[in-house]
Amino acid sequence: MFSDRQPRSFLEPAVLARLAGVPLLARRPMVGSVSGRHASPHRGSSVEFAEYRKYVPGDDLRRLDWRAFGRSDRFYVKEYEADTNLRLFLVLDTSGSMAYGSAKPGAVAVEQPLSKIAYARRICGGLGYLAAEQGDAVGIACAAGEIVRSLPPRRSPAHLRLVFDVLDEAKPEGPTRLPNVLHELAETTRQRALVVIVSDLFVSPSELAEAFGHLRFRRHDVAVFHLLDPQELAFSFQRPTRFLDLEGGGTIFADPVEIADRYHQAVAAYLEDLRRIVLESGVDYHRVVTDQPYEQVLARFLVGRAAGRSLR
Amino acid sequence: MTFLQPWVLAALPLVSLPLIIHLINQRRFQTVQWGGMMFLLAAKALSSGYSRLRHWLIMLLRMLAVAGVILAVGRPLSRGWLALAGGGRPDTAVVILDRSPSMQASDPAVVGSKLATGRRQLAESLATLAPARCLFLGTPDKPIEVSPQGLFDLPAAEPAAAPADIPGMLRSAYDHIRENAAGTAEIWICSDQRANDWALETGGWSGLRDAFAKLPQQVRFQLLSFSDPAVGNVAIRVADARLAVRGNERELVVRVEATRTDAGADPEPRTLPVRFEIGGVTTVVDLELAGREAVLADHVLPLGRGVEARGWGRVSIPADADLADNEFYFVFDDPPPRVTLVVAENAKAERVLELAASIPPSKELTARADAVPRSALATAAWDEAAAVLWQGPLPTGREAEFVDAFVASGGQVIFFPPEQPAAADRFAGIFWKEWSSYAEPVEPEQWRTDQDLLANTLSGGALPLGELEVRRICGLGGEIVPLASLPGGVPLVARVPDERGISLCATLPIPRDSSLASEGIVLYALVQRVIDRGLVPLLGARQLDAGAATVALAQSGAGAAAWERLAGPPGLLSTEAGLQPGVFSVAGRLVAVNRPEAEDAAVIVSDERIDGLFRGLSYARLSGHAGAPETVVQEIWRAFLIAMLVALVIEGLLSLPRRTRSAVVGMPPLEAAA
Repeated sequence: MFSDRQPRSFLEPAVLARLAGVPLLARRPMVGSVSGRHASPHRGSSVEFAEYRKYVPGDDLRRLDWRAFGRSDRFYVKEYEADTNLRLFLVLDTSGSMAYGSAKPGAVAVEQPLSKIAYARRICGGLGYLAAEQGDAVGIACAAGEIVRSLPPRRSPAHLRLVFDVLDEAKPEGPTRLPNVLHELAETTRQRALVVIVSDLFVSPSELAEAFGHLRFRRHDVAVFHLLDPQELAFSFQRPTRFLDLEGGGTIFADPVEIADRYHQAVAAYLEDLRRIVLESGVDYHRVVTDQPYEQVLARFLVGRAAGRSLR
Repeated sequence: MTFLQPWVLAALPLVSLPLIIHLINQRRFQTVQWGGMMFLLAAKALSSGYSRLRHWLIMLLRMLAVAGVILAVGRPLSRGWLALAGGGRPDTAVVILDRSPSMQASDPAVVGSKLATGRRQLAESLATLAPARCLFLGTPDKPIEVSPQGLFDLPAAEPAAAPADIPGMLRSAYDHIRENAAGTAEIWICSDQRANDWALETGGWSGLRDAFAKLPQQVRFQLLSFSDPAVGNVAIRVADARLAVRGNERELVVRVEATRTDAGADPEPRTLPVRFEIGGVTTVVDLELAGREAVLADHVLPLGRGVEARGWGRVSIPADADLADNEFYFVFDDPPPRVTLVVAENAKAERVLELAASIPPSKELTARADAVPRSALATAAWDEAAAVLWQGPLPTGREAEFVDAFVASGGQVIFFPPEQPAAADRFAGIFWKEWSSYAEPVEPEQWRTDQDLLANTLSGGALPLGELEVRRICGLGGEIVPLASLPGGVPLVARVPDERGISLCATLPIPRDSSLASEGIVLYALVQRVIDRGLVPLLGARQLDAGAATVALAQSGAGAAAWERLAGPPGLLSTEAGLQPGVFSVAGRLVAVNRPEAEDAAVIVSDERIDGLFRGLSYARLSGHAGAPETVVQEIWRAFLIAMLVALVIEGLLSLPRRTRSAVVGMPPLEAAA
C-alpha cells in the first residue's frame, strides 16, 4: 500500500498498524457501488436480519420464510441488511492560519505541538490510509479562500497515492472561506459520503452552522476535527507583541498581559457557540489541541464510530 | 509641608520611572505570526474603557508608590494644612512666648491652659524639628538658649502678670539673628493675639518687617495662635483703695471693677461673690454683673482700731476660665503730706501758686506750699516735696543740680516764664524766648483731653481751658510736647518729651498776663495733678502694673533682692520681679504688682491684621486650642510609607490577571456529542 518511492512524513506505519484493528465506520447508511462494511439504505444479503414483509409475486422464493408460513399460513419474505462501501471525503483547511504552531523548532515528539497543518496531514493521511485499507473510496479537497485542489473519492491504491501527494503539497496560505467551500462541496458531491473536515475553524460559527446544515441536508455523514494550538488557547505571551495575521489581514499591536482576559473571553464565547452549533447540526465534532498525540485522537474517533455501529 | 531632609526631594523626578519603564517596555516588543486574529480583534474591542482606566490607574499607583518612598525618606513634617511654607530644618529656632495673664485661660472641658498647651506643643515641635540652636524669649531681653525639652520647666516660661511685648521680643530676636545666626532661622510665636501684647499702633511693626525682610538669612515665622475667647471669664481689679477715718476707726474705701472678657451681645446677668482678704479677715460681697462691666464703687471695708495705716489686701472671685485675672492685690497707706516748693521772682505769681498748691483736693489730705528763695534752695525740703513750681529764669549751675536730682527721684516741676527771659538760660534742652502781647485776650484753641496734665476729669468732663484769657505769652524754645496751644499753634502748656516730670506754662497766673488765677480751676487742676504725680515716689504704698517699667524699677537701686514678697504666687525668681503679681515690701514701702488694666480689655487683633504684619515674609499661622492634645509639628513619614504600601497593594490587585477562563480548563468538553 505504501509507495517505496515517496516516504510520507505524515504517515507512521507503527501507528497505522495499531489503528488498523479498528474499522472506520460510517454513522449513517452509505450508498456504495460494491459490497463493504458499511450500512446501506437498501436491503441485501448480509447476515444482519432487518425485517419481515409480505410476499409479492416476483419475489425470490428462496427468501420465503417457510416456518412463518407453517405457523401463520401466510407468505412472508425475510429481509437482511445490505452492506456497502464508504466514500471518505477529506476536507483539509489550508488557509494561512493553519501554519501556526507554537512548537519549538526541532521538537519532534508528538506531545510537542506541531503546526496545525502538519497535524492535519497526519489526521487526513491516517484516515485515508485506513479507509483505503478496508476498501473504501478516498477523496480530498484542500480549502482556503476556495477549493484549492480536489480529488474525487476513488477506491484504487493509485488514487490513494495521489491523495497523499495532495497532502504533501498542501501549503497553508490565504484567507479562510471554509463555509463557502463546504457549500460548494455539498452541491457537487451528490452521493452520500463521510465528509471529514480538518480545520481550525477560524470563521464565523453562524456561517459554519449553515454549511454543516447543507452537508447534512445532502445526507452526508459529517465529522470535524477542530485543531487548536495550545498557545491559541492559553495566550500566554508576556511581552508587548506585534501580531502579524497569517492570513494577510494586517497587524495588531497589543500587550498580551493587558488583553489576555478579554482574549480568553472571546475564545470561550466562540467555543461555546461552536458547541451549540455542532449539537444542533449533529456533526461528529472533535476538538483537538495539537499537543495531544494524534494516534490517540484517531483511536478515539474510530472507536467512537465502531461503538455507534454496534448499537444499530 | 516641611521636610527635614529636603534635598531628598531632588529625587522626585524618579516618580516618572514607571512611565519610562512602560515606554521602554513598549518599544521592546516581539513579533509573532498569528492565526487567531478574530479573537485578538474581539479582545481589543473589549479592552477599551475599564481596561484603559485600569492601565492608567496601575501606572498612577506605581508613580504614587515611588513618590511615597521619596517623600517618606525626606521626613515630612505635618504643620497643619494651612502651613504650606516650605523649608527644612532651621539652624536657629527662636521661641517667643506670650506669657500674659490672658494666656492662662483654659477650656473648662479640657485640662491645660493656652500657655501650657502652647509650651508643650512648641517643645514637641522643636524636639521634632531638632534645630541646631533653640532660643527662648519671654521678655524683650537677651534670648535664653534652651533645649526643646527645657521649655517644659524653664522658669522664664512660667505665667506672668505682665503683658507680652511681642514687637519688643521680635526686635530682640532680630538683633540676635542679625548678629549671631548665619543660617536659616525660624521664629515661633505663641500668643493669643491680644491687642495690648501686639501693640499695633506703637510697636514699629513696619520698620520691624522691613528689617527682617532685609536680613540675608532666611527667616520663617510661625504663629501658634490661641485667639479663642475664654468662655464665661470675668476679670476683677481694684481701681482705687484709699484710707478714710470715721470717728476713731479707720476704714478702707475701695472701688472694684469686674469685667467680662468674653462679653457677647447679651450676656446673662449673674451674681459674682467678691471676696476681700485684708489682714487675715475675709469679707464676701455679692456683685451683680448684668452687662459687660460692674463696679463696686466706694465700698467701705472697716479696718478697726489699732490697725496700722499701711497694709495690703487681696480681692478675688471664684475660679473661672482664666485663673490669672481672678484675683487682684492692693496696698493702702495714709497719704503723705502734699508738700510743694514754690520758687518765684514775681510776688503776685508766687502768691497764686502757693494758694493753688496749698489747698488739698480733699479734706482727708494735708497740703503745704513752701515759698523758697532761690538763694535758699540748698536748705529746702527737697525730700518731702512732691512738686516744684518754678517762676523765673531757668535754673543753672548749682540750682540746676538740685532740680535735676529732684526730677530724677520722681519729683515734678512746672516752669513758669521769667520777667526777663534769656535764651542763654537752658534747662533740659528748653529755654524761654521773648514775651509777646495780644491786643485782645485770646483763648486756648486746642489742648489734649485724652491724657496728660490737661486730660478730662474722671467723670469725663473737660477742664474749662476754653474760658481762659491770655494777654501775654512767652515763647518756648527747645524740644517740647504741646499740651495746650493758642491760635497759631503758640504753646501755652507743654512738657518735655522724655516724660521726666518737667512741664511748662508759658504765661503767668497774674491778671496782667492771663486769667489763670481768676479762672482758678485750670491752674488748680494743673498744679494738683503735678503734685499727684510727684507724690508717687513718696507713697508708702504703691500700685504698679507688671511690665517692663516695674521690672526696671525692681532692678534699680538694691535690685530685685530688696523686693520682699508678702503675698502672691510661690516660687518667684528674682529675675521675674516686676513680672509676677503679688505684694512686696521694698525699702519699707508696700508695692502691689498686678496685671495692667489693658489685659482686662480683651481686645483681640483679627487674623487679617496679624497676617498683614508679616506680609512679604515667610509666615504661617496655626490655630491652637487650649488643652488640645495634638502636636503642631510631627513627622508623618509613616503615613507616606503606609500610603505607598496601600498603593502597591492596590496596584498588585489591579495587576493580577483576572480569573481567566483557561481555554483548556474552562472550555466546553473536548468531545461534543454529535
